Amino acid sequence: MRPERGVLITGASRGIGRALAEYFLQCGDFVFGVSRGEASVSHERYRHISVDVTDEKAVLTLFSELSRDQQRVDVLINNAGIASMNHSLLTPLSTAQRVINVNFLATFLFAREAAKLMRAGKMGRIVNFTTVAAPLSLEGEAIYAASKEAVTKLTQVMAKELGDLGITVNAVGPTPIRTDLIRGVSEEKLERLIRRQAIKRFGEMRDVINVVEFLISPESDFITGQTIYLGGIS
Amino acid sequence: MVDKIEEVVCAAIGDFNGESSESKQLAKDTTTALYGSGAVLDSLDLVNLIVLVEERVRREMNVSVSLADERALSQKNSPFRTVGTLCDYIRTLISESV
Repeated sequence: MRPERGVLITGASRGIGRALAEYFLQCGDFVFGVSRGEASVSHERYRHISVDVTDEKAVLTLFSELSRDQQRVDVLINNAGIASMNHSLLTPLSTAQRVINVNFLATFLFAREAAKLMRAGKMGRIVNFTTVAAPLSLEGEAIYAASKEAVTKLTQVMAKELGDLGITVNAVGPTPIRTDLIRGVSEEKLERLIRRQAIKRFGEMRDVINVVEFLISPESDFITGQTIYLGGIS
Repeated sequence: MVDKIEEVVCAAIGDFNGESSESKQLAKDTTTALYGSGAVLDSLDLVNLIVLVEERVRREMNVSVSLADERALSQKNSPFRTVGTLCDYIRTLISESV
C-alpha cells in the first residue's frame, strides 16, 4: 500500500481545490485545506486553515505551526486563483494588483515556504496552476493570462533551484471547467474557446486529478519545470 | 558569554552539518567563514544554511526573520561572511522588529 501523503491545497473550499481535497482524502492522504473562508470539507484527515493567501505574515504563521506540529507536507497544490475578465483598457489597477497578488505572488509565497519544509526530507512535489488562457493569449483576459504566464516562468526557475533538494515543481493548465471561476463568462465565449482545443469538450475534474496525480507520483521524480495544458492546447 | 542568538545559530550549524558532506562541515565558532573568501560553502549551501537558521530562530526565539532580504544582499560587507557577522545581522534584525 502507498504511504499516506501530506497534501496542502490552496483554494480548497470550492471548485478544483475542493475536488482535489476530496480525491486525496479518498486516497487515504492527509489534507491541509487553505482558503479565506470556512471549511467546506469535513473529514478526520482534513485540517482546514482559514488564511488570506496573499497575507505573508499569516502564511508564515501557518507554515510555522505546521513545522511546530511536525506535520509533513509532501505535496503542495497551488490552486488558489481568481480571474478578471475585462478589456485591458477597462481594468482598474486595483483589480490587476489583486489578480497578480493571488495568482502569482501567493503561488510564489506558498512554494517558497513549502519548499523550506520539504527540503528536510529531500523530497517534495509542488504543482502550480496556470490556464489555457495564457498560451491562447485570450482577449479580455490580459491580466489573468499574464499572471498565469508568470506562474509558468516561476515554475521553470524554481524547478531548477529546487532540483538538488529533491523537490519537483510543475504546472497544470486546465481548459474551462464548470466551476465558479468561469460563472461570469458567456456560453458563446466558452464555446469559441473550446473550438480552439484539439479535443473539443469542457474539462472535467478527473482530467485535472489525472495530471496532478501523475506529476506528484514517486515515479515522476525526473519530471520538473513542465507545464501540461489540457485539451491539446500548447 | 554565548548569547541566545549564537546558541541558535550554532544549533542550525549542527542541523546543517548533519545533512552535509564531510568537506562542508562548519565549526560552531564565530570566526568560521561561511561565504566568500576562505569559505567552503557554495551558494546552494548558503541557501540551505540560511533556511535552517531562519527555522531555528522562528522555533526557538519565536521571531520570524528574513535573513536574505534586499538589505542583506546589497550590503557592501555581506552579513554572511562569518558566523559572527551572521549573528550580528540577526541581532540587528531582531532589535529592529521589537
